[in-house]
Amino acid sequence: MASIVTADSGSSNRFYFWIAAAALVVFAYFAWTKLFGLAPVNICTGAIIPLLGGITRSLNETAGINIIYLYEPFECQRMLNGMGTTIYLSFVCVIASTIIGVLGAWAQMSNSKILRNIAAGYIQFFRNTPPLVQMYFFFFALSPLLPRIMTDYGVARPMFDSFTWAAISLSFFAGAFNVEIFRSGIEAVPRTMTEAAEALGYTRPQVFRNVVLPLALRVCIPSLTNNLVNLVKTTTLAFAISVPETLFVANQIWSDRVNVFEMMVTLFVFYIGLVAVLVWMMERWEKAMRIPGYGR
Amino acid sequence: MKITSFRKGAPGASDAVNSPDKRNDKRNDKKASRHIILAGLPPLPERSANERWGDWGADDFTRGFFSRRSALVIGGIVAVGVLGGEAYAQINTDGAPQAGILETMLKWAPLILLGREGELGGFALNIVVSFIVMAIGTVTGVLLGIAQVSHAAILRTPAWAITQFFRNSPWLVLLFFTILLLPYQIPIFGFVIPFPDWIKATIGLALPIMANISEVTRGAIQSIPTGQWESAESLAFSRSQQFRLIILPQCIKRMIPPWMNWYAILTMATSLVSIVGVSDAMTLTKLAVDADGRSELLIPMYGMLLLFFFVYCYPIARMTQVLERRYSVVT
Amino acid sequence: MKHGFKIFGVIGFAACMLTGIAVAGTIEDIKKKGTLVVGTKADYPPYGMLDSTGKIVGMEPDMAADVAKRLGVKLELVPTVASNRMQFLQQGKIDLMISTMSVNDERKKAVGIIEPYYYAGGVAILVNKAANVKSAADLKGKPVCAIQGAFYNNRIQSEFTGQDLVAFKGVPENEAALLGGQCVGFVYDDVLLIYKKTADGEKWKDYDVVALKEFDPVPWGLAVKLEDKDTEWGKFMAATTAEWLKSGTLLALEKKWLGQNTEWLINASK
Repeated sequence: MASIVTADSGSSNRFYFWIAAAALVVFAYFAWTKLFGLAPVNICTGAIIPLLGGITRSLNETAGINIIYLYEPFECQRMLNGMGTTIYLSFVCVIASTIIGVLGAWAQMSNSKILRNIAAGYIQFFRNTPPLVQMYFFFFALSPLLPRIMTDYGVARPMFDSFTWAAISLSFFAGAFNVEIFRSGIEAVPRTMTEAAEALGYTRPQVFRNVVLPLALRVCIPSLTNNLVNLVKTTTLAFAISVPETLFVANQIWSDRVNVFEMMVTLFVFYIGLVAVLVWMMERWEKAMRIPGYGR
Repeated sequence: MKITSFRKGAPGASDAVNSPDKRNDKRNDKKASRHIILAGLPPLPERSANERWGDWGADDFTRGFFSRRSALVIGGIVAVGVLGGEAYAQINTDGAPQAGILETMLKWAPLILLGREGELGGFALNIVVSFIVMAIGTVTGVLLGIAQVSHAAILRTPAWAITQFFRNSPWLVLLFFTILLLPYQIPIFGFVIPFPDWIKATIGLALPIMANISEVTRGAIQSIPTGQWESAESLAFSRSQQFRLIILPQCIKRMIPPWMNWYAILTMATSLVSIVGVSDAMTLTKLAVDADGRSELLIPMYGMLLLFFFVYCYPIARMTQVLERRYSVVT
Repeated sequence: MKHGFKIFGVIGFAACMLTGIAVAGTIEDIKKKGTLVVGTKADYPPYGMLDSTGKIVGMEPDMAADVAKRLGVKLELVPTVASNRMQFLQQGKIDLMISTMSVNDERKKAVGIIEPYYYAGGVAILVNKAANVKSAADLKGKPVCAIQGAFYNNRIQSEFTGQDLVAFKGVPENEAALLGGQCVGFVYDDVLLIYKKTADGEKWKDYDVVALKEFDPVPWGLAVKLEDKDTEWGKFMAATTAEWLKSGTLLALEKKWLGQNTEWLINASK
């Protein structure tokens, strides 16, 4: 993307810088937690509970509104872990499904008939079957077929855990839609561009990477945003195969504490917020990539 | 946005859009007439020299999928799979002979398709739920979409808020919301309306569909050229008459392809109701697998469930594409 | 009141203002109706399960039949699960709930739990023999399957395993995950696991049922609507339960359905 000169390089470079910095901070936090088993700064006991604990606890006692994860350390930590897992799963699936989309679009445009039919078969299968059944199929039916790894506590565990299967299943599901989106984007690139590039001596892969793909991406960003939003919402299905994401944690909390309504509000706020962040990022990206002569 | 045409054969369409294997088409035509008797299948429809397959909505996959050669190949693979599975099941019995895989699948298929005795369940429930949800969602969604373009802010802002809220919430969360928080019956003026679980799930699914149809409607209304509105107004149509008589009839044609698209998405989303306990096809498949207890049944049974959904949704997807091309509006 | 929050049902809300929600639960109402509606489990052998004809049978339906006999009315059984049993009671769909519900403070505030408690369930784990788990302390760092929303999940996660549980909605998924190796054991109520191991010995021959003594048996309570707890209906149920315990009815039922008598019930029946 950096090879295409945008209309406003200065602000887009700053934008990329801040996004990269924020991503690095978040990534470092999670990496530290995974590596050392303990967060560098415990957000719950350090920040949330001192600030909000008193108010929410008294709110529960007086008005019966039980926002338990704001004053109870264990629930707070689990809720945060759940939200982190959702964000991480969304992130992994967005990246993987985009890559699958690009590869699939390339396969669909290739000269080999077998490759085209395989890609088309994959798309039709994943588009016309429910994502929930796909996930169950992967996790319950396919997982026992793969080889197992012996653990140190004596039991052989499957190769992939539930998070990985959820990521695989969701990436293929969203990837199928992405292939269609990228294909329509690629078809929107005028043939003259390809011909001009070939006249300049680019090979076919080079044409695809340097000329067609950047232009195609600009065209299909709105549909891509739509699909990625859908993907983030679909990560809630991982709840059914026991991935400890937000809905899963919320379900456990409301089973214990009988505060369904408060947890529902939390879930709505969280997911709508997450979707809003994603849409905002995609819109900024779209604006940053505007080329005069294309688009509004 | 200036985009070159998607129509096959149009000038300016790229190679990817036109059929890439022009030579194969002519060969296939000759082969088709020769092999009709062999395969006993009806002949492919006649087409003129200038017409391309794309004109009636087929693409590589459909052409390949429904060709005689691929039918034989797929049939061969399925036969090998079934026979191999049967053999595997028989060898692996540890003593007592067990029913073959195909037999077991056929035994459970009626339950998965139709549900338990005396109640609506299984795949039939999925389809009935999808019809009801689409009906409710379309009616409310169109109204909401009209409200979204209304001049009065008191209609427009809540409509916009509702649409955005239900569009951006995960469907599963909305399902839980309605299942857990709706009462099990509502008394209205002495009549009591019962709300069994599957009706609550239906309402839960109707909410996001309503929001999405509202967006589709709004898009369709906004794609009508302003000339239509202005000429209607100059002819002294009131706002509601403009809508009823001029705008909405034109919108319907534009709305049909995305509407059908949402129907396909919805049909697949009906499998979510299994998570909240309604006995649809997914729940009954899980029950069947558990009742039989054999691990080699997992893939065939879930595969059968996937096949049911595929057989239902794939024709809808194809029809959507055909309608999209036929109803594509040239502005 | 928490169950007063109803977002949907603008109509329902208005109707509630106008006509009020149907009230059920006092003894006169039940006798006038002629039917006692009881909510029991239908997927929890041997306390509530479906027989081959689809009827709900088990220890709890038998208890419900006894209550109906004492009142002289017919019995109607409604299958319930953990996520709707309290809501059904609160909304008046059932008059009485005998649904393997363990007692805790939040539930006492939501429904009227009758004392004395009629049963108690401990926690056990159906664990792979190769994992060598003899008590809950051995579970550290191991993946453990459980039912989503069970009351002991929090404690197992925070005190023993230290990592997220592999929790599914139903028992079949948990069994499939256990057999597939996704977890080392399945934590569930001890009575149910004992029943499974004896009924399905061949399937579970590589697994043991290990009781987790770190969890005290938690009493199960049958419940009526919260408002009815101290009325005639609640007092009737309390007296009935006390009489069941004293006369050994519950011991006999347990022997009939589970095949053995558990320690807690023997002590409670003295």
